[in-house]
Amino acid sequence: MKGEMKGTMRNRLWLGLALAGIAAAQVKYEDILKGPGDNWLTYAGDYQGNRHSPLKQITTANVGSLTPKWAYHVPKASGLRTNPIVYDGVMYVTNTNEMRALDARSGRLIWSFKDSQSKKEGANRGAAILGDRVYFVTADVHLVALDRRTGAVIWQKKYGNVEDGLYASAAPLVLKNLVLVGVAGGDTGMRGYIAALAADTGEEKWRTYTIPTKGEPGSETWGKYIEYGGGGTWLSGTFDPALNLIYWTTGNAWPDFYGENRKGDNLYSSSLLALDPDTGKMKWYFQFTPHDTHDWDAQSWPVLIDAQVQGKMRKLVLHANRNGFFYALDRVTGEYLHSSRLVEKLDWASGIDAKGRPIVLPGTDPTPNGNRTCPGVRGATNWMSPSFNPVTGLMYVVTLEQCDIFTSSSKEPEPKKNFSGGGAGPKPNEIGQFFLRAFDPKTGLKKWEYPMTGPGESWAGTVSTAGNVVFFGDDDGQLVAVDARDGKHLWHFNMGEGLTASPITYAVDGKQYVAIASATAIFSFGLHEPMKSVPVPKTKVE
Amino acid sequence: MRILAIIGLAAALAAWPLAAQHEKDGEKPKNPAIGDPKAIAAGQALFANGCAACHGNEGQGGRGPNLRERVFWHPLEDDTLFTAVKKGVGGGMPAANLPDDQTWQVVAFVRSMTSPAIENPPPGDVKAGEGLFWGKATCGNCHGIAGKGSAFGPDLTNVAAMRPALDIRQSIIDPDADGAPGYHGVTVVMNDGSTLKGVARNRTNYSLQLQDAKGNLHLLSVASIREITTTKGSPMPKDFGTRLSKAEIDNLVAYLGRQSARPAAVKK
Repeated sequence: MKGEMKGTMRNRLWLGLALAGIAAAQVKYEDILKGPGDNWLTYAGDYQGNRHSPLKQITTANVGSLTPKWAYHVPKASGLRTNPIVYDGVMYVTNTNEMRALDARSGRLIWSFKDSQSKKEGANRGAAILGDRVYFVTADVHLVALDRRTGAVIWQKKYGNVEDGLYASAAPLVLKNLVLVGVAGGDTGMRGYIAALAADTGEEKWRTYTIPTKGEPGSETWGKYIEYGGGGTWLSGTFDPALNLIYWTTGNAWPDFYGENRKGDNLYSSSLLALDPDTGKMKWYFQFTPHDTHDWDAQSWPVLIDAQVQGKMRKLVLHANRNGFFYALDRVTGEYLHSSRLVEKLDWASGIDAKGRPIVLPGTDPTPNGNRTCPGVRGATNWMSPSFNPVTGLMYVVTLEQCDIFTSSSKEPEPKKNFSGGGAGPKPNEIGQFFLRAFDPKTGLKKWEYPMTGPGESWAGTVSTAGNVVFFGDDDGQLVAVDARDGKHLWHFNMGEGLTASPITYAVDGKQYVAIASATAIFSFGLHEPMKSVPVPKTKVE
Repeated sequence: MRILAIIGLAAALAAWPLAAQHEKDGEKPKNPAIGDPKAIAAGQALFANGCAACHGNEGQGGRGPNLRERVFWHPLEDDTLFTAVKKGVGGGMPAANLPDDQTWQVVAFVRSMTSPAIENPPPGDVKAGEGLFWGKATCGNCHGIAGKGSAFGPDLTNVAAMRPALDIRQSIIDPDADGAPGYHGVTVVMNDGSTLKGVARNRTNYSLQLQDAKGNLHLLSVASIREITTTKGSPMPKDFGTRLSKAEIDNLVAYLGRQSARPAAVKK
């Protein structure tokens, strides 16, 4: 009895400790504006989508001694697509309907949150951070705000209906006092949009649809089924604070492979939209693939850089597109500047005309019996992240050389019933090959390439560092480091399973790390240091 | 023989087809008793009189299987549970021989033992429970709900979506019943003589993830620690079972049993 009383008194002392109150550390918008350093605060590290870190402890000279520092296996994970973010030594990773906070130095779990009530499961690409909160989306289209230190739920807001054919997978984009989110699901009939929710309360501030309604400008570019036209917003966007514009890509028109019911350009599918982040109002759009019939979403990151093009300094938005072309646009006006081929295997268009419209070759649409077209359905690249190194002036893009047999079905479309109007896939003896390629954005010309071996199934992207090292996941499930200047192999590590995510880099206590999600785990690497013995401290249990 | 009967029952239950724990979108439960606080309360009384002798008052097991261990029997369709209660299970469990409405009440209670509380709202005065939580019971001094309260103890914003009501009740009365993972009190003396106090969200021989009373994280290398003192379990007071009346605990559980980050999929 005495012992119990003693225990209770002791617990009352702990209560006094708890009453000390709450003080929250804050990630400011200005911190995100600065871009990556020790922290990696957005999906792409910065607002410009450069995925380039100023960290240079790891260099071309010493990357050969990179070793694994820790691994964290995410319970029940498969095909992780999460892009970690890191703040103040804590890494935040996501999986289906869940987020976990890890000690970025040791990989130990600090907290986890799972929304077990979600009506849907699906891949998740990552978290966002602002103030003392971290944000992520559930597969059934809720935005969740958690206390970054404890995982406590602050609020959870629904911003779309799975009954409308929607789901969500993208990392939110935080800017100013807003959290911007998108919706996926454009392969089964839905209407895509981008929504902005207040970072403090979750109140929806604006919503911009990617497909017009009947009667709105752009609706004349559709036929039937405009209300299910697609234009999913699978990825989050990039942001130019000076121009106050966000750049957000849109997915394919629906049905994916059969376009007879939707003759016209099908605005604003397979496009890049420039929006005012305060209102959602569209300033301009650029459609890469009008009337797409190959499921060539514009799903890759719009990369913002300033460079001299044709003798004039321009604010550029670069886009390595699934349709096989690498575009440079003026990001102030959306004016098309130039394009080049991302891949050799490209036979659906002879080029891009002076206004940026593809010159489509006849006989390249899917047919009931199948029509071989290049690139394949996954595109010349996809959502695997590109990166840009301002020192080398090169953009690094994972590209896929592949052709597929595209079939179409004239069956009456059935929205939300897993109907895509056909299908696509390679011949068994014509599996694709991945290459990491470096392009000069000023001209669009390829400067070097690094060929990969593998089964043609990679979805892993890149990160660039000031140490002139580019890290990328290869098609054999390996994290690879190459020289940013010439693509020379420097280091690799076999992760033991296929990769579906892109690497990042960060620092804790003055030590640089490189981290990436494999299919089932998070790995973090650093320069080799002989390990010092850790004495077991004097330990008491009260 | 008894062991064989239990094994037989477990095997029979395990062999029944697995069914989704939750209703499909928009689908209503097959019987209105499911998720009805009054029916759950009535089912609890019936269970206490007829089932508890073998399964324990709170389904913890005894002569009969533990109904809160999900391995053998959960998830099951409500119809399957109804038949088991109504007609018994061959080789061990007798038929309850209750009218259909009372059988459904028992099913509602049994289901509430392993399903999230938000789907089976526990009986009690929710308003009074809220008053207790933020008042006399001082729960809000350590716990938080939707950003209000303290960041020291486990956040309870979504507790009803994660835990059955009986588990919530158990944690109030015996906070260490589940081992309190990630919430053992810890005090460390660093090599420089400074001290830190909080809970160990994680701890190994090489690193310690300590969260202090303000909710702030201290990610420590054990190499920098001279001395560690931990509590056996949670720092949460262990005397709520005597400090609060049964009715007060019922009310607290009723309040917490409705804390969900999103609206309940099934509720009355």
